[in-house]
Amino acid sequence: MRTFTREELSEYAGEDGGPVYFAYKGKVYDASESWQWRGGKHQVMHAAGQDLTEALADAPHGEDLLSRLPIIGEPVD
Amino acid sequence: MAKVAREMVEKAGVNVDELLELLVNNAAAELTTFYYYTILRVNLIGLEGEGIKSIAEDARIEDRNHFEALVPRIYELGGKLPEDMKEFHDCSACPPAKLPKDPTDTKALLKVLLEAERCAVRGYTHICNITAGKDHRTYDLALAILHEEIEHEAWFSEFLGEGPSGHFGRRTPGESPFVSKFLHP
Repeated sequence: MRTFTREELSEYAGEDGGPVYFAYKGKVYDASESWQWRGGKHQVMHAAGQDLTEALADAPHGEDLLSRLPIIGEPVD
Repeated sequence: MAKVAREMVEKAGVNVDELLELLVNNAAAELTTFYYYTILRVNLIGLEGEGIKSIAEDARIEDRNHFEALVPRIYELGGKLPEDMKEFHDCSACPPAKLPKDPTDTKALLKVLLEAERCAVRGYTHICNITAGKDHRTYDLALAILHEEIEHEAWFSEFLGEGPSGHFGRRTPGESPFVSKFLHP
């Protein structure tokens, strides 16, 4: 499975219509096709291209919704 | 704009520009859902569909009411709606509630309705969470809408066999028992 450093992941923040990736609990998700992640932003306050493990703890949904997104890799330090 | 009202919200620690974007996105979700629900309701026909039509109509009218109730708050806080309707559609907080490929599949249609309501429940919970104890007026409005979205979710999930909703339908179509206080008679 493909690995992403923090810097590499930051290149997939959905800018200019590019791919939208984020990490959560040791996996990298591709949200490029998700309506909820258009432009690399989710619910105005969350940006792609980074690890959102802590952010999801405060979200009004659980990690079950992430199962709708393809897993494309793993983050590495 | 209600200058002091906005100042109070800012002083309480709310990022008003982010809040406004959320309110506009959710207003867009309400109005686009009203549109898409119109098409869904039209297609709720036959023995199965007719039984769901009245609650789909209640949800449809109440979603429009939510849009109407959100707009004044957006302008009070110094925000505005996009001038371009296409832009407004595309900023919706929830995906389009489109008619399923087989419009005679009532179960598939119910799933579209349920997904839309669940998206709305998450969205207004989020707004309540960030405004609770800080922006009393937006919180009150978002909570009123949340009450109705939760009821809509319960109605549709009941028809999908997820258990009883626990309440009756509306006395009048699109009654909006919680949001009506924000609407002009």
